[in-house]
Amino acid sequence: MGPEFVLGLVLILVGTVASAFPRPKTYLVQLINLEIPAWGLLLVMLSYNEALALLTFGGVSALSTFIYVRVIQKREGT
Amino acid sequence: MNELLILVFGAMVVLGAIATIISRDLFDKLISLGIIVAGIMPFLADRGLLDVLAATALIAPLSTIFILMAIRRKKDGS
Amino acid sequence: MNGYEIALALCGIIALYAAVRVVLEKDTMRKLPFLNVVSFAISGSIVLLIPHPLAIVAAAAYFVGSTLESNAIASTYAGGPKDE
Repeated sequence: MGPEFVLGLVLILVGTVASAFPRPKTYLVQLINLEIPAWGLLLVMLSYNEALALLTFGGVSALSTFIYVRVIQKREGT
Repeated sequence: MNELLILVFGAMVVLGAIATIISRDLFDKLISLGIIVAGIMPFLADRGLLDVLAATALIAPLSTIFILMAIRRKKDGS
Repeated sequence: MNGYEIALALCGIIALYAAVRVVLEKDTMRKLPFLNVVSFAISGSIVLLIPHPLAIVAAAAYFVGSTLESNAIASTYAGGPKDE
């Protein structure tokens, strides 16, 4: 168990709790808090030395952020 | 990477996560998210995954800019 | 402890000090220069960590990305481009 693994687990736990109960309860705060467990998962993948998984996860994370932003805009716009 | 550097960069990641959760302003949250990314980068460099590092360093601001698009739309609308 | 390790430790301590200053600062606009200091220190420590010729490309990519992020945050905070 390297330091990356422990750090990633701490980040996943803290970020999941913060994303489930956001303090000002808006969609944007929840979306920003959702980025914290994404980086924690990236650290856990790093501790297993999976280069292809890291590349794919980085791309998909940015893409899903874009889709969430479009959904939030559509929901708050109307 | 020796123990001092692991301690320093791990403290940066944890500090950024706590600041992201605690702060109420959306811009403060995005700046603290930048500190988390800055703390993760040396762990990626220590494993020698340089292509993953370059890809992640270019994808992380893209994700921030997507969130900024939603924040700007919300500021204009209200 | 040779010269590389001393420079690396100095970069890490500068990055941690700037991160603490960012967290403790109240004004949002005053946070951004310290975020740039963090980006300088991390770019230097990436180059010092791996002795590989491709390391400078990765450090330059991180530097460009971080500067772009800071500029985008500052531009949106100031009201965005007034084009319309």
